[in-house]
Amino acid sequence: MSDWKRENRHEADDREHGNRSHSASRWSHCRKRGVDGSLRTKRDTENSEKGHNNYKPDNRHDSFTTPEGAGPVSRCGRQTDWGSQVEEEEQLRKNVHRDMQRRRILGGDATQRERRASSGSSESCDSREGDNIETDEEVLLRRQKQINYGKNTLAYDRYIKEVPKHMRQPGVHPKTPNKFRKYSRRSWDQQIKLWKVKLHAWDPPAEEGGPEKTLEDRDELGLDDVMDIELDFPSLPNTQNVPVLLSTNNPSLEDDDCMGTPVKLQKTETPAAPDMS
Amino acid sequence: MENSSDDYRIQALDQDTQTLLKTALKDPSSVNLEKVSNIIMDQSLKDQVFSKEAGRICYTIVQAEAKQSNGSAFRRNLLNRLQQEFKDREETRERSLQEWVCYVTFICNVFDYLKVNNMPMVALVHPVFDCLMRLAQPDALMNEEEVDCLVLQLHRIGEQLEKMNVQRMDELFFLLRDGFLLQEGLTSMARLLLLEILEFRAGGWLLSGTAHKYYYSEIAD
Repeated sequence: MSDWKRENRHEADDREHGNRSHSASRWSHCRKRGVDGSLRTKRDTENSEKGHNNYKPDNRHDSFTTPEGAGPVSRCGRQTDWGSQVEEEEQLRKNVHRDMQRRRILGGDATQRERRASSGSSESCDSREGDNIETDEEVLLRRQKQINYGKNTLAYDRYIKEVPKHMRQPGVHPKTPNKFRKYSRRSWDQQIKLWKVKLHAWDPPAEEGGPEKTLEDRDELGLDDVMDIELDFPSLPNTQNVPVLLSTNNPSLEDDDCMGTPVKLQKTETPAAPDMS
Repeated sequence: MENSSDDYRIQALDQDTQTLLKTALKDPSSVNLEKVSNIIMDQSLKDQVFSKEAGRICYTIVQAEAKQSNGSAFRRNLLNRLQQEFKDREETRERSLQEWVCYVTFICNVFDYLKVNNMPMVALVHPVFDCLMRLAQPDALMNEEEVDCLVLQLHRIGEQLEKMNVQRMDELFFLLRDGFLLQEGLTSMARLLLLEILEFRAGGWLLSGTAHKYYYSEIAD
């Protein structure tokens, strides 16, 4: 959809009393897409002075999030014309719905049983999976938005190009938090923050008017870009650490950050796990 | 389901335009939707009766276009026109109170009818609040038509709006209380309207039976 490429980005005419003027976040030059993954062709580095939704007025880093987030409008409007904003909103919601549907279907009994055979997690249990899934749509939307912010960066693009899935090491390589798991708000926000911080290791070298790479070959919103298909089993619900998740063989997913092979199983390359509960 | 043209209040428009609109409702891809949205926008700014229900026709066209061609050209253009007019609202108000009031009525009506995934459009929340806040300013409260417009919108969309942003609604109502209590020179009608809306919100966007009787019953002689 060529509509997604916008020519200009003006500042949001969001509040009556003028813009919320924020200075640019340090990484605003790395932002390449709207919040739902739509590509932006031009980055106004001049405009970055006037405001950027991610930068909080009290000078906190944009990956610092608090449970009391900003109100709905401020976080999601990347494009500032209302037509685009509404379309982005709509697309985001549709994507999350689609994710939820896939989750329901793919997270069903049959597939779980198969995966269990290959994963060996003693925690995995069909009935438990049900309890541990986040189903609140508003929560999922919010989380997806946060994930999109993180993926809307050159760092992320460079990262997924540089480190193919099978090379990813838990702890070392950032993994997208799994929005379908139950976490407390604080835990989730913390995971996002840590994830984004880790991603910064792949930031492009900061040059003046930095190279705004747009991915010509990814015109359309790729499924992979926006949706994380989390085909894994929940481990501990309220963990503060990015959870180590189980592997599935799904090479079609470009970014399955949550599918690294758990450390303890790395030695055993075979699908059959040594011990099973 | 087709509403009769009466429902859309398009009688004030000339025949050709009426035909165009009716076609847009049935077969959106056969018409220039940008032009249609401009017609609707322009008419809303002139015709108060029209602006009060124009959201409905907009919704129908949006649905029709989405169904027929999965497009959203009409909605996009409408919103961008709304945004344009929003930017110029202060000038509009200075030039013509009537047009300003029509604009507010229209944008609120669009907020009411044009839902996305059954939710109000988030992008309109702040602009709508901005408009209502403007109507609640001291200079605006002096004009009955602005007060009237303000309370009408709150009756229609207040509850939904509040759900989207409680803080701003609170802010608005601080202004309304202040206006009611402190504003000198308010007409008695204006004060009545303000009092009623204060009670209305306090009652959870519902007027109690007795309050309703007070405000809306014929005074027995």
